[in-house]
Amino acid sequence: MSSDVLRPEIQYATLAQQGDTAQLGMWVFLATETLFFGALLFAYFIYRMSYPHEFAEAAKDAVLWCGSVNIGLLITSSLTMVLAINAAADGRRRALVFWLCATAFLGICFLGVKVWEYRLDYVDHVVPAVNFIVKPGAGSAGELFWVFYFVATGLHAVHLTIGIGLVLYMLLWRVRRGEITPLYYAPLEVVGLYWSFVDTVWLFLFPAIYLAGRS
Amino acid sequence: MSGSRRHDPALVFIIGWLAMLLLTGLSIGSAFLGLGLCAPVIQFGIAATQAAILFVLFMRLKGPPSLKWVFAGSGFFWLLFLFGLSMTDYATRRGWPAAG
Repeated sequence: MSSDVLRPEIQYATLAQQGDTAQLGMWVFLATETLFFGALLFAYFIYRMSYPHEFAEAAKDAVLWCGSVNIGLLITSSLTMVLAINAAADGRRRALVFWLCATAFLGICFLGVKVWEYRLDYVDHVVPAVNFIVKPGAGSAGELFWVFYFVATGLHAVHLTIGIGLVLYMLLWRVRRGEITPLYYAPLEVVGLYWSFVDTVWLFLFPAIYLAGRS
Repeated sequence: MSGSRRHDPALVFIIGWLAMLLLTGLSIGSAFLGLGLCAPVIQFGIAATQAAILFVLFMRLKGPPSLKWVFAGSGFFWLLFLFGLSMTDYATRRGWPAAG
């Protein structure tokens, strides 16, 4: 669809109906993602209840400042994303481009902090199957915590990378070609739903990883 | 989406953003207060509150079409089945959960 020929696809009566369908489709996908990450968090819950001391001890080595900076970055990126959608709805193209750039930048910053954190984890010898060293008093079950940590944060990083790719696609393809207009910006809204969902996942990973065993 | 839809003003989202940052601060603070088993309950409760703000406000669940609620709720509905049926195993094991 291009800006000069704004017609719904053949199976839809109106653009509004087409946009609503796109949104509902993304919500169906997000429901499957809820189960995907839900199962992961359930596994964490079971392990934490099974090995409370070991998990508390192992979690003390998680780098709190990295997790805290990253939760701030992601929450802020959800704001910039929704401001981009508002700009699209109002037809403010420059603001739309600015907020999309800000969203992609914040996502890239998140990944940068994450890479730095992985480096710190490596130096701290907490990478299972690579250089894990059982610390005095931690118990071997503490390694389970770090397995969860790398699986969960790795899967989250993959999702965020896809999100950054989608934002850049919007920016460099759909917006540049004038396909996101006040009359039809459903593709951007769908990407926004995905982006905020990835943010939501981190909201739950943050206390599970960084706050366990601090007190 | 069609241009006929009304969106919330930026100020509403900025307030939501500030609320989520404030809640993050409370969550971090609660980790250092020596609250014991209450700490994870508070922290995951805060995470759920933040998620609710994101879903309702930023992901525009409160707007039309209302059918979105059914689609969004279905994920959590099936998640309850996943948690509930899995817990029937663990909750009936002897010596589980381990003493904290």
